[in-house]
Amino acid sequence: MYRWKAAVVVAAILVAACLALRAQQSSSAASQGPAKGSMEQTHSIQLPDNAGEILPGPHMDTYSKDCLICHSARYVSMQPGFSKEVWQSEVKKMVNAYGAAIPESDQVLIVEYLVAVRGPQRAGSAATPAK
Amino acid sequence: MDTILAKDVMASTRRAFLSRLVSVGGIAVASAVFGRGFDLPVGGALDAGAPQLARYPEKKDLILLTDRPPQLETPLEYFRTDLTPNDAFFVRWHLSGIPTTIDLKTFRLEVSGHVAKPLSLSLSDLQAKFEPVSIVALNQCSGNFRGWFDPRLPGGQWGAGAMGNARWKGVRLKDVLDAAAVQPGAVQVGFRGLDEPALKSTPPFQKSLELDHARDGEVMIAYEMNGEPLPMLNGFPVRLVVPGWYATYWVKSLSAITVLDQPLKTFWMDKAYRIPDNPQANEEPEHLSSVTVPINVMAVHSIFVRPAPQQQLRTGQSYQLEGVATDGGSGIRRVELSQDGGKSWNDATLGNDLGKYSWRRWTAEWKPPAKGTYRLMVRATTNSGETQAVSQWNRSGYQRDVIEHVDVVVV
Repeated sequence: MYRWKAAVVVAAILVAACLALRAQQSSSAASQGPAKGSMEQTHSIQLPDNAGEILPGPHMDTYSKDCLICHSARYVSMQPGFSKEVWQSEVKKMVNAYGAAIPESDQVLIVEYLVAVRGPQRAGSAATPAK
Repeated sequence: MDTILAKDVMASTRRAFLSRLVSVGGIAVASAVFGRGFDLPVGGALDAGAPQLARYPEKKDLILLTDRPPQLETPLEYFRTDLTPNDAFFVRWHLSGIPTTIDLKTFRLEVSGHVAKPLSLSLSDLQAKFEPVSIVALNQCSGNFRGWFDPRLPGGQWGAGAMGNARWKGVRLKDVLDAAAVQPGAVQVGFRGLDEPALKSTPPFQKSLELDHARDGEVMIAYEMNGEPLPMLNGFPVRLVVPGWYATYWVKSLSAITVLDQPLKTFWMDKAYRIPDNPQANEEPEHLSSVTVPINVMAVHSIFVRPAPQQQLRTGQSYQLEGVATDGGSGIRRVELSQDGGKSWNDATLGNDLGKYSWRRWTAEWKPPAKGTYRLMVRATTNSGETQAVSQWNRSGYQRDVIEHVDVVVV
């Protein structure tokens, strides 16, 4: 009975060790550049999922629906903090320069969201808005 | 000693530098430090505490600014070698549809527009039909250091790691253009890569260079970086290399070259990546410059790679200060350091000279003389005599050339 249990434990350790070794090998392969031999082949990468958190705030659904088509939530969460004026001009830029189809009514809500999550009260925010 | 060129001095300078540093009292230094109006550089990654690292394909752990499209910053620890390893090299894409699969059997670089003989080149064509050339050149994002500007600016909150120095190998753009036979009347050359916007209404990423610049024999179509194929995230299989110019022109996964008989009209030249039309790209928040030009040649700049801000050093114990100095193609003639908030300056020792488009590493031994807080500062001068600004600001956080500092605590 005990011998049988010991065999299971040994087998489990062996499996775990193999898996760990494989993971190590694949992660070290991932850190190397494309192989020289790949010059005549298809070269592919798979991007990891690092989407991160959508900062909770008022109208976050509108923000998610209109903004996160083109970029992820980190484009906002990495910002320090800006005045309403700065955020208004950023939203206008997305519409006018980048062609985001955001209705006027949604733009107002998105600015409210941005000021709530990354507004001027945040430490390190811009003292003077850049227009 | 201040007037002696760094390359003439080396060891003797180091001793003199040491003795000069030792002669400055710690307490006086501390008061000078706090008397100045400089702000501690705080990168965006530092806003929320420790920077978040992420592992991407063909990359080591890099500082994660954004994931879609990806922007990854190189940690400073990788700036202690002349060439930045490919797997530590920074990543910056504009549009969410970035290339993740390339089939070299079907990949073609199209050369068309105002040419007599349009070309459709495979990677093998580029390698077989044109003379290979190689150059060491700094690749630096226009917005490198954006997170250090005050007032702060919206955009990628880069610290110092949106740059890297690499040996690029490829073919001269001039040779490719000559093979396509540029027709009279051409004025510019436009470039496009394989990245695609999520929306049809978003302008695809395109850049252009004046024809004479494109044909200067230095602008390159690179297929190797530090002796290896380019990592996918750095523009596999080929990218443009524009020595001395900011990375916005170094179009990644280059797929189309179009010779133009009139200047390229695109958001990416006409509205984005523009700077105030003065040598230091300077303006005031309340008085924005009414005339802007496309960003171009890299400004002279220098940074500390070590010590880190607020690092603790020991009194009387020698510490090797290290950093890099960068410019846009004149080359670095001199790097100077101050331990007293900029009152006195001493030469650092310059590292290997890898060519005028390379960055230049520098070192200096420093033995902190007494306990206290020290503001160490660094400034570089180019071969053509350009030096750094005491202060600078512009609305986009571009082309930083400010004399940088690092505050350290000596215990």
